[in-house]
Amino acid sequence: MSWRSMDTQSLNKGESLELVLTNESAVHRHFVQQEGSRLRLFLVNLSTPVDADITIEQLGPHCVSEVYALCLGRGDESSRIATHMRHLATDGESRQLIKFVLQDKAKGEFLGELLIAKDSQRVDATQTNRNLLLSPTADMRTRPQLEIYADDVKAGHGASTGQLDEQAVFYMQQRGIGYNDARRMLIAAFLKDVLAEMTDSRQQEQLLNAIDSVIEQVQ
Amino acid sequence: MSELIVIKDLHASVAGKEILKGLNLTIGTGEVHAIMGPNGAGKSTLSAVLTGNPQYEVTGGEVWLRGKNLLAMPPEQRAREGVFLSFQYPVEIPGVSMVNFMRTAVNERRQYQGLPALSASEFLRLMREKRKLVQITDKMQGRSVNEGFSGGEKKKNEIFQMAMLEPCFSILDETDSGLDIDALRIVSEGVNRLRTADNAFMVITHYQRLLDYIVPDYVHVLADGRIVKTGDKTLALELEEHGYAEFE
Repeated sequence: MSWRSMDTQSLNKGESLELVLTNESAVHRHFVQQEGSRLRLFLVNLSTPVDADITIEQLGPHCVSEVYALCLGRGDESSRIATHMRHLATDGESRQLIKFVLQDKAKGEFLGELLIAKDSQRVDATQTNRNLLLSPTADMRTRPQLEIYADDVKAGHGASTGQLDEQAVFYMQQRGIGYNDARRMLIAAFLKDVLAEMTDSRQQEQLLNAIDSVIEQVQ
Repeated sequence: MSELIVIKDLHASVAGKEILKGLNLTIGTGEVHAIMGPNGAGKSTLSAVLTGNPQYEVTGGEVWLRGKNLLAMPPEQRAREGVFLSFQYPVEIPGVSMVNFMRTAVNERRQYQGLPALSASEFLRLMREKRKLVQITDKMQGRSVNEGFSGGEKKKNEIFQMAMLEPCFSILDETDSGLDIDALRIVSEGVNRLRTADNAFMVITHYQRLLDYIVPDYVHVLADGRIVKTGDKTLALELEEHGYAEFE
């Protein structure tokens, strides 16, 4: 699907938008940002697999775009998140933090396209993808794609996929915390970090509680 | 004094290599035992095996804590029975706050003992009281467990957790490593104030220095997986002077 067929949303000069999408199975969104606008998007999938294509275009200078996504996959679910972050103007910022936690035979895929166009100087862009595999049969694929044509920019990206830190689990057990509780505390901590920047504290609280209750079922 | 922990003919291996080769040791209440020895003798293996670290395999022997079979328990149950390890390398746990971590640990222990959970205000009062013991600041307490702590802060934090959990048997695994003299004094004084007639300490150290502050009743030399010599605190001074050459 090309971005032209997606829902397009424009942010006018100086406008701010914080959007929280919870447990939507298909997210095909296109955002166009004018000068000085701020977009902050949260994608939270705790109980529904997601297929997401998110395109953000910074058309004016001094825009800020943030994407925070967390996806918990179980059974034989398959989730995919693709972001297309396009810096087409100067002095823009973008931050992306994408996390998957996969158990059983769940599959996850992250595609992160980051474009900084030729004259888009002084852009500061970061893209971070961290994934936790809770079973040996879970599968995660990550494809960061950075295309940077301007020279005076900062662009950082990092991707890592790993298992729970068994040393941390043992440390917690040594203090009397049960094995499964220790694992759940670590998984919850891993996920909750994605919601740290949410402005709406009531919604944040609800989602943190939702994480706790869904983690209860993790084996 | 009564027998607190009895270790009989303990054998253990890691990654298929035998490290402990028939270790015997009995520790009574109110006692401090120092375990000294050359690198690779099995000092850290002993602490790992007593606390149930899954990376180590017990291949023989018995360990009894107040008459209960310690080796049959999972690590968390050993902790709830009152076994505490001050880790040589405390683990950083990003995203888990000290408060949440300690409250969970303290209440698990209380539940095991048949005591009601502490309320939020009771718990915070307890934390305030105990952190004075090792001069832990408010700021440290608000952070994630050990995350970004200096070496000295991590060791103080171990002793703080010991104070919170009130174990009956504490193992200090190279607690002196990486500590400057001020931190060493604070940590040692904290430990000394936690000594009672009912608990006991196993102090694992390579150097005599720590034992100037935490004075042991017994000093054991661990070499090649066994206790090969036992004495009083003067043995530590001898070892400091002559090294471990005769045991290697």
